[in-house]
Amino acid sequence: MLLEIRNVSKTYESESNKILALDNINFTVEDNDFICIVGPSGCGKSTLLRIIVGLEKPNSGEVFFRGEAIEPDNPKVAMVFQNFAIFPWLTVQENIELVLESLNRPDEKKIACKYIRAVGLDGFEKVYPRELSGGMKQRVGFARALAVEPVLLCMDEPFSSLDALTSQNLKDELLMLWADASMPPDAVIMVTHNVEEAVYMANRIIILSPRPGKVMADMRIELKRPRNRKDPEFYRWVDKVYSLIV
Amino acid sequence: MIFPKATISEIIGLLEAVNDSGGIEDVARLAADFDLEIDEILPSIDGAELLGLAVVREGNIELTTDARKLLDAGIRDRKKIIKDKVASVDMIRELIDRLRSEEEYKISKEEALRFIQKKISTMDIDSYFRIIINWTRYAGLIGYNSDSEEICLLQKER
Repeated sequence: MLLEIRNVSKTYESESNKILALDNINFTVEDNDFICIVGPSGCGKSTLLRIIVGLEKPNSGEVFFRGEAIEPDNPKVAMVFQNFAIFPWLTVQENIELVLESLNRPDEKKIACKYIRAVGLDGFEKVYPRELSGGMKQRVGFARALAVEPVLLCMDEPFSSLDALTSQNLKDELLMLWADASMPPDAVIMVTHNVEEAVYMANRIIILSPRPGKVMADMRIELKRPRNRKDPEFYRWVDKVYSLIV
Repeated sequence: MIFPKATISEIIGLLEAVNDSGGIEDVARLAADFDLEIDEILPSIDGAELLGLAVVREGNIELTTDARKLLDAGIRDRKKIIKDKVASVDMIRELIDRLRSEEEYKISKEEALRFIQKKISTMDIDSYFRIIINWTRYAGLIGYNSDSEEICLLQKER
């Protein structure tokens, strides 16, 4: 077992009231899981992801990574953000090398190069983020996350800042990297509000209820890859997930 | 000439969607699938045509054999195919020839804008510059250094 989320609850408190965001979440993540967490907006799915990577603490419950309580700086877990979160004053290559420096990897240049090439960013090494299209910026996000060679990759709505066609392209290329056994990670957890995207990407979907978020369903998607969005079977799965959300 | 304002990622995304429909799709339906207006999807379609990756006939877009090869290829090989396609676009070939004729294989951004302006009559030359550099960087043909404001050939053989 790679990851265990055990009895996780989260409450936000303001002066006048308490809001229960997540209510007793339990599930485990195994090697080769590509999990999409879906649910209506406000169901706490991004909060859950932040708790899973250790960026936020739950009020009760725990997250275990390979049997040990998760730490926020766990180098085996990487994160991709919706808004790319790259440093505008650093070039593509410097953005990637920076995370490697913090891990004290002596061969940081070589590793950065490897992952720049893997995501198709070669030629863009010395370019500043302001000169990049959204698709290229998110490729930097992927390269930076993969460069730490994580066991678990967490992604929070990684395609939702992109236009529809670019998003299509990046989903397919990310799945190519996922299919490549020589590339990290061993497991992916991705948060999305888009059911079709979840059925296209995941081999397992966890559905959260409207606030407070509870696990309403945890299902395996038994669709062959590569998947075709025009396939009637694909739509049966999309319908099935929708029927559990609505 | 008309140069399409679409990035390489958008063009490949479009080809992937046409592929899901069996390699041919009605343009209006394709736009609707992506929740786009026709004029929002047209630049990507024009881009795919200019690169020889699709043909448009009677309101349908159809993939070429090269587009199918591209979609079957991995990320590395896709880049090689795109490189050949981008290098064969007239304006880009002329720009490459121009850079080859320069001592250090580079010209200023200002000169590049003048070059593009002669080919595309537009008020919005900067956004065409960005698109052309998006294509040529992805293809590994021409780069742009924003500090020195120069474009240069990425492979230096004449």
